[in-house]
Amino acid sequence: MLPPGMEAASVPGAAALGQTRRVGDRVGDGILHGLTALAALIGVAIVFAIVWRVADGAWPAVKLFRLHFLWAREWNAPLNKFGARDLIVGTVVTSFGAMLLAAPLSIAIGLFLSELAPPAIRGPVGTLVEMLAAVPSVVVGLWGIFVLAPFDAQHVQPFLGSALGWIPIFAHGQDKVESTVFTAMIVLTMMVIPITSSICRELFIGVPTELEEASIGLGATRWEMVRTVVVPTVRGGVVAAVILGLGRALGEAIAVSQVIGNFIPLKLSIFEPGDTLASRVAGQYQGAITNVQIASLIYLALILLVITFITNVAAQRVVKRFEFQRTGGA
Amino acid sequence: MKRGLALIAAAGIALFAIAAAGAKSNDTTISGAGSTFVSPLVSTWTPALGEAFGLNVQYSGVGSGAGIAAITNRQVDFGASDAPLSPDQASACKGCVQIPWALSATSIAYNVPGAPVHLNLDGKTISKIFLGQITNWNDAAIKALNKGANLPDLKITPVFRSDGSGTSYNYTDYLSAVNPEWKSKIGVSTQPAFPAGVGARGSGGVAGVVSRTDGAITYVDVAFALKNHIRFAAVRNAAGKFLFPSLRRITAAAAAFTKVPRDNEMHIVNPSKKAALAYPICTYTYIIVPQQTSHAPELRKMIFWALTQGQRPQFTAKLLFAPLPKPVLVASEKTLKSIHS
Repeated sequence: MLPPGMEAASVPGAAALGQTRRVGDRVGDGILHGLTALAALIGVAIVFAIVWRVADGAWPAVKLFRLHFLWAREWNAPLNKFGARDLIVGTVVTSFGAMLLAAPLSIAIGLFLSELAPPAIRGPVGTLVEMLAAVPSVVVGLWGIFVLAPFDAQHVQPFLGSALGWIPIFAHGQDKVESTVFTAMIVLTMMVIPITSSICRELFIGVPTELEEASIGLGATRWEMVRTVVVPTVRGGVVAAVILGLGRALGEAIAVSQVIGNFIPLKLSIFEPGDTLASRVAGQYQGAITNVQIASLIYLALILLVITFITNVAAQRVVKRFEFQRTGGA
Repeated sequence: MKRGLALIAAAGIALFAIAAAGAKSNDTTISGAGSTFVSPLVSTWTPALGEAFGLNVQYSGVGSGAGIAAITNRQVDFGASDAPLSPDQASACKGCVQIPWALSATSIAYNVPGAPVHLNLDGKTISKIFLGQITNWNDAAIKALNKGANLPDLKITPVFRSDGSGTSYNYTDYLSAVNPEWKSKIGVSTQPAFPAGVGARGSGGVAGVVSRTDGAITYVDVAFALKNHIRFAAVRNAAGKFLFPSLRRITAAAAAFTKVPRDNEMHIVNPSKKAALAYPICTYTYIIVPQQTSHAPELRKMIFWALTQGQRPQFTAKLLFAPLPKPVLVASEKTLKSIHS
């Protein structure tokens, strides 16, 4: 509710303002309007150009394999047999698996650095996390390949295998192979944590102090404050941050192709090699033997495009719903 | 603020001028990309080519597949591949010719703690390992080839190239020659659909995975294996001899094939048992150039030099590249003459 005297009606309308303003201002506004509209238009045009180009390049394969491509398992370039099923499954498993690990960790990091850590730590560690978010993903990926993947193969996988090996997806042959679906998940987790955790930290810092103080004043513990005030206030933003990380994980090609083993058909256990859409495109596009193979690789890119599109739309809906809940529909 | 902008602009112009000047003084730069196999050999040639013709050869070993893509898009002056162009690749490249310009072999590298330094393998066994039919190092088939050796109870992890690779082509060419099942199921290709194992990108990626995985086996060009001190196996040839790759044994393999087809596509794997001293997994590697190119005079000079002077032991011997045999040399020079501007 606005204080009296500041109701919307008392503010002069845009048309009324226009007549009283100087000519220079009006021209400036016009230029600003034109430039921003043009930029927005270019953005839209680029999206359409990409979709058109990808669809056009994939067309020969779409015509040849139709939708059967989506559930065919074989990928045999010399025999011109192509199918995307295991690559789609590999992409979904690695990306969502990575987010399953990264989301709680990122939220925890953000909470610690914004609410719980002693002020002396908050500053320096916060800056470090921000810096980590600025490190290019290639660098994180390289570290993942040379440090994390061997460690994972030597220690983490055998341990998880012996503890959870009775569940088929965790079956482990006790051989220390580092090129596995699980390793790709771990590397992707490391690649998305900096970006999601730094966004979460920003979001939590942005929660009005009055709200936090009020809840503490009402006798809430720190945990109750976090659970009932801090997280709900920025829930939509946190979801958006996680989706941003998911987008990065879905499209990551080079780092994944170095650690996942580039092998299909996919096996049941995540401690076996696999492959993803982006990794296959990056690995085979340059050396493609036949035109059908090139078209099939672009078909893979088209599928990836559709997957990212769907996740983005879903994310927007989720964010909107949370916003709606928070503001009580006002 | 304005001052800052002016400074940045001035710096930009200066940089641009330096770049332009640099490009002018080296206007005989010849760029190439492709095969990692031939990359160390091209590096030994580069200084000599600079001295002889003032050519500045800039080669990047990005893999045969990527090299073919680069020359097809004319991003470079020449491509290099260990595999001949496929029909679709040849038509996409629009008037390219392939010229055999080096000859070497693919080694079978392994990382098995406790295995003998002199490990014997034969084509049948290797193909069964890569088909996923032999899965342990103490398998009877491997034991039979290594009498008295102590082979560990260890899972075999086959490691293959996941990018388009001429080494994969040479290797599957060999496996198809020794095992009909391989030929019908997998075939010969730069990107074969390996039915078992794990993939890695590039020779370096493959070597890295092998060095970190106990029980791994892979195929990698001999020069790379030697340079990186990777242990490789002796492979049985058609005459029944277990041989490590060496200059004489590569030469012996090449000598068994004297016919050169019109498109220069050569297959020299698994020569008959008449070539008693031949190492069975050898390959030519090709330079790929457009028949019509603005750099024709320089390219002709460079390739002719590589085919003749470049084959001398001072360049090739250490990297285990064998000199080109006469029939191939004749065919290469004939193709070379067709390059024009």
